[in-house]
Amino acid sequence: MEPPENDVVAFESAEKIILRWDSTASEDAREKMIFAGDRHEIDRYLQAVDEIQRSMEFATLSDDQNKANSAIQIAMARLEDEFRNILIAHTTPMEAESLTDTSNEDYHDNNSEVDSPLTKELEHQESNSSGSYRSTNSIREIDLMPSDAIYDLRCIAERMISAGYLRECIQVYGSVRKSAVDSSFRKLGIEKLSIGDIQRLEWETLETKIRRWIRAAKVCVRILFASEKKLCEQIFEGLGTATDDACFTETIKGPAIQLFNFAEAISISRRSPEKLFKILDLHDALSDLLLDIEIVFDSKSSESIRVQAVEILSRLAEAARGILSEFENAVLREPSKVPVPGGTIHPLTRYVMNYISLISDYKQTMLELIVSKPSTGSRYSSDPNTPDMDFGELESQTPLALHLIWITVILQFNLEGKSKFYKDTSLAHLFVMNNVHYIVEKIKGSPELREMIGDDYLKKLTGKFRQAAINYQRSTWVRVLYCLRDEGLHVKGSFSSGVSKSALRERFKTFNAMFEEVHRTQSTWLIPDTQLREELRISISEKLIPAYRSFLGRFRTHIESGRHPENYIKYSGEDIETAVLDFFEGYQVSQHIRRRSQ
Amino acid sequence: MPMTDNQGSFLNRISIRRNQVSNMENNHEQDIEDLELFQKHVADRFSDLLPNDPPSTTDSPAIDQSPLFSISWFRKLLDVFLCCEAEFKALVLIGRDPVQFSKPPLDRLVPDILERSIKSLDICNAVTHGLELVHHWQKLAQIAVTAFEQKPMGDGQVRRAKKALNTLLTSMMLDDKENNYHAKAAERTWSFGRRSGGGGGGAGNNNKDRTNGTFRSMSWSVAKSWSASKQIQAMASNLVAPRGGEPTGLAVPIYAMGTIFVFVMWALVAAIPCQERTGLLTHLPLPRNLNWGQALIALQDKIAEEWKKKEKKGTTGLLDEMQKMEKVAQNLVDFAENFQFPAEEEKLEEVAEQVAEMAEICRKMEEGLTPLQQQIREVFHRIVRSRAEVLDVLDQIGKMSPPVPY
Repeated sequence: MEPPENDVVAFESAEKIILRWDSTASEDAREKMIFAGDRHEIDRYLQAVDEIQRSMEFATLSDDQNKANSAIQIAMARLEDEFRNILIAHTTPMEAESLTDTSNEDYHDNNSEVDSPLTKELEHQESNSSGSYRSTNSIREIDLMPSDAIYDLRCIAERMISAGYLRECIQVYGSVRKSAVDSSFRKLGIEKLSIGDIQRLEWETLETKIRRWIRAAKVCVRILFASEKKLCEQIFEGLGTATDDACFTETIKGPAIQLFNFAEAISISRRSPEKLFKILDLHDALSDLLLDIEIVFDSKSSESIRVQAVEILSRLAEAARGILSEFENAVLREPSKVPVPGGTIHPLTRYVMNYISLISDYKQTMLELIVSKPSTGSRYSSDPNTPDMDFGELESQTPLALHLIWITVILQFNLEGKSKFYKDTSLAHLFVMNNVHYIVEKIKGSPELREMIGDDYLKKLTGKFRQAAINYQRSTWVRVLYCLRDEGLHVKGSFSSGVSKSALRERFKTFNAMFEEVHRTQSTWLIPDTQLREELRISISEKLIPAYRSFLGRFRTHIESGRHPENYIKYSGEDIETAVLDFFEGYQVSQHIRRRSQ
Repeated sequence: MPMTDNQGSFLNRISIRRNQVSNMENNHEQDIEDLELFQKHVADRFSDLLPNDPPSTTDSPAIDQSPLFSISWFRKLLDVFLCCEAEFKALVLIGRDPVQFSKPPLDRLVPDILERSIKSLDICNAVTHGLELVHHWQKLAQIAVTAFEQKPMGDGQVRRAKKALNTLLTSMMLDDKENNYHAKAAERTWSFGRRSGGGGGGAGNNNKDRTNGTFRSMSWSVAKSWSASKQIQAMASNLVAPRGGEPTGLAVPIYAMGTIFVFVMWALVAAIPCQERTGLLTHLPLPRNLNWGQALIALQDKIAEEWKKKEKKGTTGLLDEMQKMEKVAQNLVDFAENFQFPAEEEKLEEVAEQVAEMAEICRKMEEGLTPLQQQIREVFHRIVRSRAEVLDVLDQIGKMSPPVPY
């Protein structure tokens, strides 16, 4: 059937318009853009395209078909260029687009290297709970393009897709938007580092990068990618099958993988204790983002990204567990043999207690991650290099708590070993006392830590340092007090009142020498904790002073009645009392004990 | 031999245990046997990868389904890798006293193993990324196929196909670095110029400009300084054949596995576009005197043969489907250049064959690219896991655990 007269005319005038804008044909057509011109021109062109397409259906003669096809191709090629042009014209950097709300003055961040308006936007929306958010309450899409541009793009896309030029459309879209995303990445400071690079960097440097990455990743997923997705929907929804998904994937797949590759590289880095907390930060950030990732990357074509994120998360968890193990290992094996002068707190003790305090700060995450009991430690371990630990008594504790307790056990075990390097056993006991006391204080100082370790175990520890104090006292003072005993001084039936003067003199001399020695040495010893220091001194005084006084009282006359009493009775009770106050101050005192009175 | 079992973490995980024979003599013999078996398996598996010689009779079974360097061949190669790796681990790591690795010659080899793992991981990532580019080319080819398949074939479709194919060919011919440059250029400028009809080859300036716009922004995901060929070179330089007669005999399988690593990574890099492949080694150091070495050499020789057949040095890479695609695309472009409506019957028939071939290539890519990417990801995971196990061994030795830093 012949096409009616009108149709032929319509076709020809449409064809004319198409051909006029064929840029292979005319310079003029090359230089101007339809969509940059007036609305009337745009509409005319689009109508022409529609007309050609319509007439394709009616064309029967192969010549006509060929003409129509040819015209369509020219039109599509033109529209492709127009499409690209509109996209590029409206691809402005993210910063100009994002809402820069700086009302959130309270947000403090010590490391604001990446202080673009984008991240400010994120900070703002993190504190703000209202707004046009999706269900996770943290995704925030922004409008990447003005609505009239979107309208134009959609008009073009419609025609391209219905003419069967879907692929070209997706390609153009993807290539322009992807480079926009790439440049946003650069602005966010997302680096292109290989796994090899990351393994070689110092951990401190990496910490900074991780911090930056966490901030950037939040912006990427919640704002950048979400906005790109929205843009795809705005332009392509309803056109073709899942076109918006295809365009979105085309745009962000590469960048998303690049983003996550960093986190992946961190998750496989070699384990060492100092890495724990940043790894936990990274884990938490990613875990936080997971829901948003599921939403943003919900299509089949972006499945691999979701999968990768989950894999990375589980590796980070594994890494955290491994590091904790490493840490326990390191504490157990810490090999330094040089005794800490003065028997004070060993740096290992400080480090370990600070470390586990910090762990208790991360309690929530760690409780989720740590699911099995400490691997070493059995009651019947025959390995002398490992302490015993009966986990049976602690059935009701969480695995994390067991680990923390275990850590204090191995710390003490290690410290016991270190204490053996002191030549002076008294100092060894003092050392143990100091350090265990420190452990107790640290636990008491942290409510989370205390709650996990439990008061039962705390009691045990308290008992331990008290016992160490007792051991110390026995070790030093028994022999000193021995000088002040009664036995051996009385002689039966002689001129004197029954006291051996020579023995007595010996006693005094010995006592003086011993005490001076103890005084000299133990003043340089240190008990850092004031209260403990006081208590121990009082405890010493309680035993020593009365004993000395009573000894003096009973036997001084015997000495004073002899020659050079001052050689033997050097100190009064007060003198000794005062001298005791010098103990455990950690510095040398004058050789001579102050004598107030003769 | 008692095993040090302090930490026992990885040792607890394994389910396979080596035969713990109390007699040391027997143990040693077992070792040698296992070692030989391992090497034989490696040799066999790689020999299987050699493409079959053309059958002498017409009724010999299956045509070679996996031409050398095709997607399906690579999937087989990666399977071989995974098998060898699993056997290697069973032989060398599991049930072994970790202390062995602290003594020469193994102590020197362990850092190499770790280094090789890291480089391989990066190459896996680079290759996965490169496959996206291949995917992109497939889509361009698909446009051409769809256009050519429309009947009757008219000017419009042919121009459409030609445009897509020119973009494809230009992209393929660009050097890896240039790919990056042009991607950036696409950001800033875009050229509206269109090729005036007829004549001219595919690599003219005009063409580049024209195709810039539809160019996929293929910026690589690693720093500009990263180079695949340098990575391969570094890996290859650490491959040193062990001198005979060392005590445990583990140096040999370690050397074998190292060689396999390098070979597989090298093949991937040669085939698939990824950043910086200029100066890629054409020959790897392979041992002639070992059975598996010979299998690899045979494979390498075959590859070199194919390489020489190419006129250009294969800047796009040796992936079989890609090579074919390039050839067919060129043919189709030539056809398109000379097309006039209506076309002669014979010409249409000829071109239909080419189009069908292109359609087949696209189909193979469509089917095979994603599974290949997934497999590479599997390889990635495996390398990560094995590396972790090696690190575990080092920790057990106790030398490598750093003192508590305070």
